Amino acid sequence: MTKPPAASLGLVAHKAGSKPGRPTVGGRNGSDFKIARTIKYESDRVVSFGRDVMSVPGCEQLESCIQRGTCSGVCPLSIYMDYTPRQVMALTRADFKNEVLRSHTIWLCASCYACTVECPQQIRITDIMYELKQRAILERIYPRHFPIPVLAREFNAMVRKHGRITEMVLVIRLFLKTDWLAALGNWRLGLDLMRTGRFSLITERIKNHGDIARMLDAVDHPKES
Amino acid sequence: MVSPKQDIRIGFYVCHCGHNIASMVDCPAVAEYVGQLPGVVLSRDYKYMCSDPGQELIQKDIAEFDLNRVVVASCSPLLHEHTFRNAVAAGGLNPFLFHMVNIREHDSWVHTDRQEATAKAKGLARAAIVRVAHAKSLPVKKVPIHPDVLVVGGGIAGIHAALTLANAGKKVFLVEREPSIGGHMARFDKTFPTLDCAACILTPKMSEVGAHPNITLWSYSDVVKMDGYVGNYTVTVRRQPRYINEELCTGCQECIGNCIYKEPKFPDEFNEGLGKRKPVYISFPQATPQVVLIDPEVCLNFRHGVLTDKCKKTCVEACGDRKAIDFTQKVETREIKVGTIIVATGFKPFDVKRIPQYGYGSYPNVYTALEVERLVNASGPTSGDVILRDGRHPQAIAIIHCVGSRDKKTNRWCSRVCCMYSMKLAHLLKEHTGAEIYNFYIDIRAPGKGYEEFYDKLNEEGVHFIRGRVGEVTDWAMTPEEEGKLVIRVEDTLAGFVRRIPVDMVVLATGLEPQADSQDVRRLFNMSCGTEGFFLERHPKLAPVNTFTDGIFIAGCCQGPRDIPDTVAQAGAAAAEAMVLIDKGYIEQEPNTAYIQPDCSGCKSCIPLCPYTAIAFDATTQKAVINEALCKGCGTCVAACPSGSIGQNLFEDDEIFSEIDGLLTN
Repeated sequence: MTKPPAASLGLVAHKAGSKPGRPTVGGRNGSDFKIARTIKYESDRVVSFGRDVMSVPGCEQLESCIQRGTCSGVCPLSIYMDYTPRQVMALTRADFKNEVLRSHTIWLCASCYACTVECPQQIRITDIMYELKQRAILERIYPRHFPIPVLAREFNAMVRKHGRITEMVLVIRLFLKTDWLAALGNWRLGLDLMRTGRFSLITERIKNHGDIARMLDAVDHPKES
Repeated sequence: MVSPKQDIRIGFYVCHCGHNIASMVDCPAVAEYVGQLPGVVLSRDYKYMCSDPGQELIQKDIAEFDLNRVVVASCSPLLHEHTFRNAVAAGGLNPFLFHMVNIREHDSWVHTDRQEATAKAKGLARAAIVRVAHAKSLPVKKVPIHPDVLVVGGGIAGIHAALTLANAGKKVFLVEREPSIGGHMARFDKTFPTLDCAACILTPKMSEVGAHPNITLWSYSDVVKMDGYVGNYTVTVRRQPRYINEELCTGCQECIGNCIYKEPKFPDEFNEGLGKRKPVYISFPQATPQVVLIDPEVCLNFRHGVLTDKCKKTCVEACGDRKAIDFTQKVETREIKVGTIIVATGFKPFDVKRIPQYGYGSYPNVYTALEVERLVNASGPTSGDVILRDGRHPQAIAIIHCVGSRDKKTNRWCSRVCCMYSMKLAHLLKEHTGAEIYNFYIDIRAPGKGYEEFYDKLNEEGVHFIRGRVGEVTDWAMTPEEEGKLVIRVEDTLAGFVRRIPVDMVVLATGLEPQADSQDVRRLFNMSCGTEGFFLERHPKLAPVNTFTDGIFIAGCCQGPRDIPDTVAQAGAAAAEAMVLIDKGYIEQEPNTAYIQPDCSGCKSCIPLCPYTAIAFDATTQKAVINEALCKGCGTCVAACPSGSIGQNLFEDDEIFSEIDGLLTN
């Protein structure tokens, strides 16, 4: 597994929690070498998970995946991923829910849609990634301190509450919930943004902001039933 | 006729064969060297001698330079000797005044040192130049062809070849070892990728064979001897006793119903032993010929195959006035004369017991693919209901690909059909049982019309494809859900971890291998085999149904694993090749026959040595006589003659010795 250069991701992945059942990267040096079971039993599968995902509109084509690996080949971020996009597709189809939903891959996906454009089977891989991300958040089994799901949650929560976001507050919450020390490294950027008026210190909200929550609930409702 | 050693004018040509020869042999240097040899009037190098311009060059030079011998140094005579002989003949010379030197297979392709290879080419060319001076004009020998054809093997290949020939008006003898024709295809349920029922498309052809006036069908028979040569083969066929008179049996099967055994008791070969039959039986409902047979090993009227006549013979009573049952039948041999032979003896499924870790034989719910074909078939032992050997219906089924294929420990080759038939079985099993189906594969090979689409369809049906060769099948449970199941241990190489998958039924996709007696058949028909034991075609691309013996053709899986469409195409090709010979009416043979010289002492030592009984003794002249029509030019008598009184055309002593001299002198 390639260790991402810290600068490229801002808030680094190395704090994002090691993947269960795998020796961590540091294991190469023998510092925290752990031996864990890697074989998968039938009980490690969550039967029908794959079917459920494939029944979502836009995700049906996954059933025709024959694992060419075009998606991984074109994905600009696959070099940072724990499972390649191809593997995520394989694991989803084979009902390995926990492995998929805990993977970094779904959170590293930048939605560039290269995989979807290139897939010879016309599988909408990016859409499947979104579906998996949603499920991970609903199941609360995303990597705890990984910035991308945290950002998604905070963003969503703020919109739900106020009807719009306040960047300053969002970023502070993001830093606090992931890696607050990293905020210190970005103080100059923050200062510049504030000086140019890009950072508001007052929480912004819309009129009748409660309606947003009701609308979102109405959208979510059929899914919960 | 040009008399030898008098005004010899040789034209020499060395072919580049693109880069095949020129990359390792300095062709201009060879041409220059040969040009200085005595008798050589003209020496050229040319890029492709076999091309039309190359052949025209020879013809032009013969006229222009008044050549009376031609030597071409190029590829194997097997490929182009015929081409160049024709070119020489078109130029007005006798074709046997031409000699060919192989500097490709014998030189450029097998050497890595350009200098040495060039020296070798020069030596080989020099030998040919001195030899060709002794060449004589010879007449082409024409032999008539017997128009009848023998087809060996009554699977789909043999059936199709026989029907094609018979429909063209040729008389065909179709010899099949089993009691019925149909071969492996008759046992399949459906055929990929169209899923049309194998019996529905095969049985019309089978009954057409049975009823065709031009086809003599001998089932339960095999070929034991073949003599002769192209156009004139004598074949001995052994007919096993069925204990039923084929002419009198009407196929009513009342004898089966009235057999002293009330219930079928003996393993049924056609259903891979999954079903039972009686001592008197018919292989399957659509068997052709529609004639029952009696198995003397289990019939009560026999004891260990020997007639005892101790049964009540209720079958004979049931047969009544038809009087078709004849317990006194013996093995019969028939001798037939044919001009051409098509060998379509098929394949044998790999013996899965050679891979014990897959548990066949130890775990009752491990099946071979052919067994499953019968299990899902409506006329199979369970009428198409997939019931396991332990009586359960499977909830999860594993299909293991490449069993006995792509494995250096068993068979190295890809059996070509297993991926497709595994997917077909996956589809059928899913349809019949609704079970979860797991395919374990190394690669999916679906290279045919509609095959990839079929693979796509299977994916969309929700069949699981797991890439990885299965390590073992075990009943040792490690987790509660594995209790009472067969567990597949495999690396899911695409997911990146090892998995244990519990299933109820395991299907082994067995590969195809040569028939157990393929070596005997090979010797019988004077054919060659590849290292794997499949019969060897004359050329892998350009002569795929011909063998190295003229007049003997191969079709179907005896030549290598292939699917039904390819088999049928090949059988049609073999029939067409046979018809080429038959319709021409004669064949031109090499005039390489031996002849007796006047100084024969009449010692008769050559007569018993001739494998073709071509030599007789003439009492009036007290000398041996060779029948030119029978002589095959093997040279045995030439070598054996104590007085050196037998010569052989194309292989005269002075030709051979001068060639050796040419090779050895520098």
